[in-house]
Amino acid sequence: MSITRISRSFKDISLSFDPHPVTKDLPILKNESAIRRSVRNLVETIPTERFFNSLLGSDVRSSLFEFVDYGTASVIEDQILSTLSNFEPRINNVRVEVDPQPDINTFNVNIIFDIVGQEFPTQEFSFILEATR
Amino acid sequence: MPFTKFTNLDFDQIKTSIKDYLRANSNFTDFDFEGSNFSVLIDTLAYNTYITAFNSNMIVNESFLDSATLRENVVSLARNIGYVPRSRTAARASISFQVPTTTTSQTLTLQAGLVCVGASDNTSYTFSIPENVTTTVSGGFATFGSTEFPIEVYQGTFLTKQFVVDGSLDQRFILENSFIDSSTIVSYVKGINDSGLGRQYEQIDNILNVNSTSETYLIQEVQDEKYELLFGDGIFGRKLENGTIITVTYIITDGKEGNGASRFSFQGTFKDSNNNISIPSGSITVNTISSASPLCASA
Repeated sequence: MSITRISRSFKDISLSFDPHPVTKDLPILKNESAIRRSVRNLVETIPTERFFNSLLGSDVRSSLFEFVDYGTASVIEDQILSTLSNFEPRINNVRVEVDPQPDINTFNVNIIFDIVGQEFPTQEFSFILEATR
Repeated sequence: MPFTKFTNLDFDQIKTSIKDYLRANSNFTDFDFEGSNFSVLIDTLAYNTYITAFNSNMIVNESFLDSATLRENVVSLARNIGYVPRSRTAARASISFQVPTTTTSQTLTLQAGLVCVGASDNTSYTFSIPENVTTTVSGGFATFGSTEFPIEVYQGTFLTKQFVVDGSLDQRFILENSFIDSSTIVSYVKGINDSGLGRQYEQIDNILNVNSTSETYLIQEVQDEKYELLFGDGIFGRKLENGTIITVTYIITDGKEGNGASRFSFQGTFKDSNNNISIPSGSITVNTISSASPLCASA
């Protein structure tokens, strides 16, 4: 029987590379910040973009050029949900709410999740998906 | 997997090695998760290492005659042991023909270049000769070749290339065509006091009995199956002087594709002894002694 290891702490590097104003250290992301960043990375990664891991990522970009309506929003929700369930084992109870904004051609995405093995409250963060070209 | 195990050449193995190193030597933990920023950096490092390892592997393979796969590298390595690879070989046919002429010249010369066109498998192929052929005119006819001594024609296109020697050390004499039949290369060197095309130099494949005045040259294959001519340096072979004009003629061929061609129709050009073009007074029928040989020509 396999043993599921539960991590108690997460620490990731920040790609902003802005040095800390006092210590001059490179910035780090901890725990829920690191996981939030990871979730966002997964959603924004285009499949085949990663070397030798063509399945990683979600195909939401191609949906951004469809009609901005609830049908497309539902597709984006499914894509984000399946991506997170496949590639982010640190979260569960994931809910994704995608709200189409047809007047400005964007989708507001709200992701709600729990962190596995941590006593943090339910996490929620939002971002906007918009076709840039 | 220890980080010092340098035989890991696959992307996944390299990535695992980097992760193992970080696990033991870093406070970071998120590199195990594909979505993390750290994973992006590790992917970049692993990909860089993988490409470097792949290139190193290919370079080492191509450095030895046993394992090299690119023709250019095999040829280069073979050159070090004095070997010049065989060139593509033109299909050769033997023909003879009689030319009715009204010229008053004693001789008629068939010019190097296109002689006739032959057919094979519903395709036409041109046949050429690398050097002029001269014969005597008798009774209003000039006879080129016979059953016993036919004229040998080579399948392919006859080309001429001229170089002017500038005396620089880095000047190279490269024939800018692939698929040359190297046996048809003929070189003439015209010095300041020479007339016409100059003196014909002899193609050799070794330097035995070659001295400082030998009028010889070597050939070597360079990239893309092209040939470079190497003239003397004043020790092995006569050194070329500044302003010398080198004229090289050769035939590029389709190789074995030309095998079996026959039913030749004449397309050549004649000149009389005064170097004027001579037009035959009647039609020319080409007798095929032997069609383009399937045994001679090769890719």
